[in-house]
Order: sequence, then structure tokens, then C-alpha cells
Amino acid sequence: MSINGLSRRALLQSIAFGSALTVASSIPGISFSSSGGKLTVRFNRDMDSLDPGYYVGGHPDNDVNWCCMPALVHYDYVDGMAVWAKSPFVDRVEVVSPTRIEFKLKSGLMWSNGYGELTSEDVAFSYDRMAQSEWKGDYVAYDRTEITDKYSGALILKQAFAPFMTQTLSSGTGVIISKKATEAVGGKFTNDVPATCGPYVMEWKQGQYVRMTRNPEWTGTKPQYDEIYCPIVTEDSAAALAYEAGELDVAQISSDTYARYLKQVPADSKLTVAGALQYMWLGMNIDNPKMKDIRVRQAIQHAVDVSAINQGAYSGTAELSSGIVCPGLVGKRNQTGYSYNPAKAKALLDEAGVSGLSLTLRTLNNQERILASTIIQANLAAIGIAVEIMPLDSGPFWEMGQESKGDTWKDMEIWLMRYGSGPDPYGAFQWFVRDQVGIWNWERWSSDEFEKLYVELVAVSEAEERHKIAIRMQEIMEETGAYVFLTHEPEVFVHRDNISPRFAPSGETMLSYFKA
Amino acid sequence: MSEIASNKALESAKKDQDIKGHMSESREKLSLFLNNRLGMFGLMLVVLFFVSAIFAPYFATHDPFLMDIPQRMSGPTLEHWAGTDQLGRDTYSRVIYGGRVALKVAAIGVSISLFVGLLLGMLAGYGPRWLDNFLLLIFDSIRSFPTIVLALAAVALLGPSLELVLAVVIVTSIPGYARLARTSTLALKNTEFILAERSLGAHPAIIMWRHIMPNVIGPLLILAAMDVPVVVTIEAGLSFLGLGVLPPTASWGTILNEGYLVIRDTPWPIIAGGIPLVLTTLGFTFLGEALRDVFDPRLRKGK
Repeated sequence: MSINGLSRRALLQSIAFGSALTVASSIPGISFSSSGGKLTVRFNRDMDSLDPGYYVGGHPDNDVNWCCMPALVHYDYVDGMAVWAKSPFVDRVEVVSPTRIEFKLKSGLMWSNGYGELTSEDVAFSYDRMAQSEWKGDYVAYDRTEITDKYSGALILKQAFAPFMTQTLSSGTGVIISKKATEAVGGKFTNDVPATCGPYVMEWKQGQYVRMTRNPEWTGTKPQYDEIYCPIVTEDSAAALAYEAGELDVAQISSDTYARYLKQVPADSKLTVAGALQYMWLGMNIDNPKMKDIRVRQAIQHAVDVSAINQGAYSGTAELSSGIVCPGLVGKRNQTGYSYNPAKAKALLDEAGVSGLSLTLRTLNNQERILASTIIQANLAAIGIAVEIMPLDSGPFWEMGQESKGDTWKDMEIWLMRYGSGPDPYGAFQWFVRDQVGIWNWERWSSDEFEKLYVELVAVSEAEERHKIAIRMQEIMEETGAYVFLTHEPEVFVHRDNISPRFAPSGETMLSYFKA
Repeated sequence: MSEIASNKALESAKKDQDIKGHMSESREKLSLFLNNRLGMFGLMLVVLFFVSAIFAPYFATHDPFLMDIPQRMSGPTLEHWAGTDQLGRDTYSRVIYGGRVALKVAAIGVSISLFVGLLLGMLAGYGPRWLDNFLLLIFDSIRSFPTIVLALAAVALLGPSLELVLAVVIVTSIPGYARLARTSTLALKNTEFILAERSLGAHPAIIMWRHIMPNVIGPLLILAAMDVPVVVTIEAGLSFLGLGVLPPTASWGTILNEGYLVIRDTPWPIIAGGIPLVLTTLGFTFLGEALRDVFDPRLRKGK
């Protein structure tokens, strides 16, 4: 017999081969070692865009940008605390007053593709552009850049904003791009970066790997490794297997693997928790007809067993979340105003006169999210809500709530979402202001009080006052009924014990600072 | 009168002989099948597959969706015969219910493919030349797409679901049946009994329905029996890749996928999900090959 022109045996062989290839393609085939100037690091997804104004952000976009693009400051650590430090691209960065940050770039740092030298004009162009971009929330306090000369200038803030150095300039959105090159490509780009300038140059094969090799034109401090090879290993188990087989030097690991490694770390290896500045929640679109009634949303808040999600999907390794401010930051909440109470959830549904409700739960298609979704599905089934899980790849997932990317946002009902935060609570709130509705505020609510508090959070520098503001802002979010706060996942890496890594507080690797 | 009586007696004797011959041939085939040990073993496995899938609620020891998170990833116990998965669900019960998905895809997928393939194949073989060429072009176009690639494209457009798996299986299987039906129809098209029917003015649909189909269907049924394991494997493969059934539905492919993800913590989901897949595939393959041996006289003569 034959199907598709293949004999039955050939078809079975093809399926077996195809399956093996799928698994094998997610595991790097070549063994690398951290010695000999080569470092092999797992990327758990492909890059979406490297344009800091219009990218998804986080890993791996920031990991690559920090190796191949300039910035004024980078993250460093003092006594375990994340601080800003001048980058290898500058001779001087100084906060001369609460609203004035002066800088002097190193001379002779060249952009690729013949776009000339890195200048203060590039700095001004980059940050002016950021203030108008999708990530303008990071630049809410930024006013302008004053150019002093070819290499020097000053960033002027509209008002004092203490987190500007750590929350904004040190983060992925603090990257500087080439004015001439960006204008030459029409003002925006994705992964085809028109000009790079940094210790490494990048080679990217879509869906397979990013290879960064020393930039021969780089005149700054030389990084440790000649080559950083980053195979894209989307599957967590495959990554752990590849690490244990010696094919990776550094790998981000899943919570299941973390729980297993806590019992026994692989030989000659170390575990590093890069931070828990992630906040995950179950979101609800308050504009969707099925979700309009706040009692339905509140019923869902009471129906979801967050502890079960932590145990079942994260092996108990995550911290339960009560809001969007992450552990260790000013404004962290210790409890929610709702609790797991299926009887109350059912009563709220009855009060709303809702029965036979069916919802679609959209989630990224990875192991932990699918498990969490399955638990939520069972929780909601217990109160009479039928849930269909819709697993999505990262491309369609990150676009689904954005009005500029199609009409999917209209159909969205509930979804599992996780954002990363910087080391200041302000970073987490910027996505939920009115301006972000239809961009990153997919729940689509807005509140005058929230807007007012957001402005205050930016302006106030006193910690206790900021704590109160942040707490109230999270209460407002909770009162919309549009959120079930779930977990703060730790970003855990396993790496060879002879490697000294550096990570951003939000968990991205800072590969040019890795040492052997 | 005596001549007529003699003729009737001769006809009657011939009929008796035909019936006896037919019965004897049937007995021979049955005997051949019963003596085929692998075939009997296959039949036993197939019966087990059908019975456990149809009567899953009686075979399962637990609700396949019931989570018991404190008991997650436990090994086999008296309570959980094949251990539990990441959410503490009973793996044995999920494997039993997973058989239903396999049965559903195999039964519906193969039946529809067989029916549509038979119809299109007969039309291609018996119909006008242009229709034959047109249908062949479609069959070949479909056959040029590897099943997995077609499934990937379909999932990218429509999202994963059991219905999509079925659609992919049906679309990719039809050309196989249709081509076989077409070839057999072409061989029969100019035989004397068909020409006789045509000369008597029988409608082509009647000819295809009454005379061609009964002669074509046999090989197609054998092909269908041998196709079942392929279809079961395709479903499991797609579900393993996350392109098949959606959670929390249990399918052997999803059980294997979940097991693969936690293989370093517990091997039991992989073992429990793999065994029925292997046995069912073997069962249908042995059964199909035994049926082919019995019904294909050329193979028998060759032995």
C-alpha cells in the first residue's frame, strides 16, 4: 500500500525520521566547550526583533543587543544588588543632578556597514526615538539629549526619576542605534540590523542559531570568548539533556529540571538564579462580551487554585504572586483581595445569571504554560465554565493583543501572560496605563486614579511613599477583575562551574561579561 | 421434454457444484487465516484495542482528567498501575482513554478515505479521459505534500485540533485508495461482462455500483486494514509534536510527549504510552498482512 507516494514502510520510516529530526533539530549537534574561547549558550526561542523601540524584549533580543550594540550603561552587581555601571562604550557617565546625566563616548568606535563612528548624535537620535516608540513608557521622564560635541552630551529629564539609570538606561531599551543606518532603512528594522557596533558581530540562522564572533573593528575592552554560539533549543527537556551531554555550557532550565537539579546538580556545574523579576497572570479582556460582567471576572479570580499551579506546573519552585511588583522590590504585595474559593466563584456566576459559559484560553505553547492552563481548565470546569486551551507559538502569541497586528484582540477572552520587570516597580506598571490599551494592556481597562498614581510613582523618590502608591495601583488592577495573579518564576540557569556568568535582573544573559 | 429435464438437472448440478466450490474456497481461506499465527495474534491485539477503546470507562481505574497534584510523577502502585503524570493523573486510565482517540481517528479517517477514494477512483477509471487526467492531477498534487508538512501548514493556519488531524489523514490517504480503485476499474472496464452490460444499455452508475465496486472493494479493504496502523501513528506523531488533540484530552501521542518531557524524572508515562502504540500498530499490520495473504491468490501461489 502507499500513501502520498510512499510505501507503508517508507511512510513509517519517514514519520520516525521526521520525529527524530524534530527532536534532534532542537538539540545542537556539535559539542562545544567553554574552553578554547568558545561558549555555547542555549537560546530558548528565536529572536523576534532587535529594534529596541518595537521589539518584544527580554530574552534573547536583549542578550544579543548587549553583545552587538552600544549602550551608555550596563547592569553590574554590588553585594548582590543590581546597580548601573558605565559600559565599555563610554569614558564617562555621571548623574550630575536628578535631571541631568552627562556622558562622553569613547572615540573610534565604528558602526558596521560603513556608517561611520558612534557619536552623541546617535545617542540623541536613539533616545528621542525611544520616547516616541512602543516602549515610550521606559522614557516617560526623558525630555531630550543635549549634544555638547561629537562624543559628549547630556540626557535631560523632565523631572527627577531615580530609576532612570537602572530601569531605563541599563535595560534593553537603553541600547543605542545608528542614526544614519536606521534612517537609511526607513526608521525601523527587525532582525536585519542595519549597523552594529560592539565587541561581537552576529550571524543568525532563523530557527537554528545565533553565532557571535569577535568584531575585528572593536577597539574597546576585549570580552573573554572568541565565539559565542547560541543554538535555539526551544524544548526544555532537550536543553537539559544537551547540557548533561556536554553540548551546552550554559542553559536556562525549566522548573521541573530545577527541582531535579536541586536534589543533584550535574557534575562540574552550578545553578544560578538570575532573578525572579517575572510576573505571570491570567488576563481577561474586559471588552469581550463574555467578560463584560465584572462578576464573571471575579468568579474566575476565586476559581483558580494558584497553589496547584505552582506545584503542578512549576514543581513548587516559583513564588506565588499577589500583584505585578516582583519579590524584593518596593511595592511588593503580600496577599490578594480574593482567594481560592470555588463556592464563592459559583455564587458569583449564579448572581451574574451566567451558565454554560465557554471560553478560549490562549497560551504560549510550552510545557509549563500548558500544564498551568490545564489546571485552570479543570478549576473553571468545576464552576461550570468550559475552557478550550489554544496553544500558540511565540509569533502569533505576542501579536494577538496588539491592535496594530490584526483583529485577534477582539476575540481574546482569557490568556496566560508573563512579563519581565526591571529592578524598579515603575517598570511593571508602565504596560497598564491608558496609552497601552491595544498595545500591551490587553485587558483593555483604564482608570483615572491609576493614571494619576502612575505619574506620582514616577515623580516620588521616597521609598515608603512609592510602596503605598504601588500597592494601591495593584489594588486597582485587581478590582477590575481582569487579573488572576499567578507566580513570579525564577530564571534559573545551569552552567559549568568554571564559568562566571552575569545576568540582567530580569534574567537575560550579559554574554560579553561572561568569564571563564 | 426429456432433453429439457436433462438440461435443468445439469444446471442444478452445476449450481450445487458452484456453491460447494465457493464454500470450499471460503473454508480454505478461513483455514489459511486460522493457521496464520501472526495473523491470529494480530487479530487478538486488534480485538483488544477495539474492546478497550469502546469500553474504556469499564477498563479505566480512574477519571483520566482527575488531578492529584501531591501524587504527581509517582511510579506504579496498586492504586495507579502505570504511575501518574505531571498533574497526578492516572497514566493507565489516560492510556485506555487515549485508545479512543486512536480508534476515532483510525475508524473515521480510514472509512471516509476509503469511501471517497473508492468513488473517485472508479470515476477516474470508468469516466472520460479528461476526468481521469484531472483527478490524477489532484491525487498527485496531494501526494506531493508530505503528511507532516501538510499538517504543520494546516495547524499554522487553523490551530491544533483532533478534527484537523482527521482532515489531514483523510486528505492525504484518499489518493492511495483512489489510485488502487482506478487501476482495478481500468482493468475491469473492458471485460466481457461489463461490455455486455453496456451493450444492454445499463447506466454507468449502475455498472459501477453493481459490477465494478464489488470487484474493486476487496483489495481496498485489505489496504484499509493495513492503513489503520499508519493512521494511528500519524495521529500519535502529530499529537506528540503538539499538532494534534488539545489538552486535557488523552492521546497516546500527547502521553508520549508529556512523558518525554519528564523522562528524567519518571520513565513510566513513556513506557505506558508507547506499549499500546506498538501493540496496536503490530496488531493491525499482522492482521492486514494475513488478510492479504489469504485473499491475494498470487501471493498464495507464490508460497
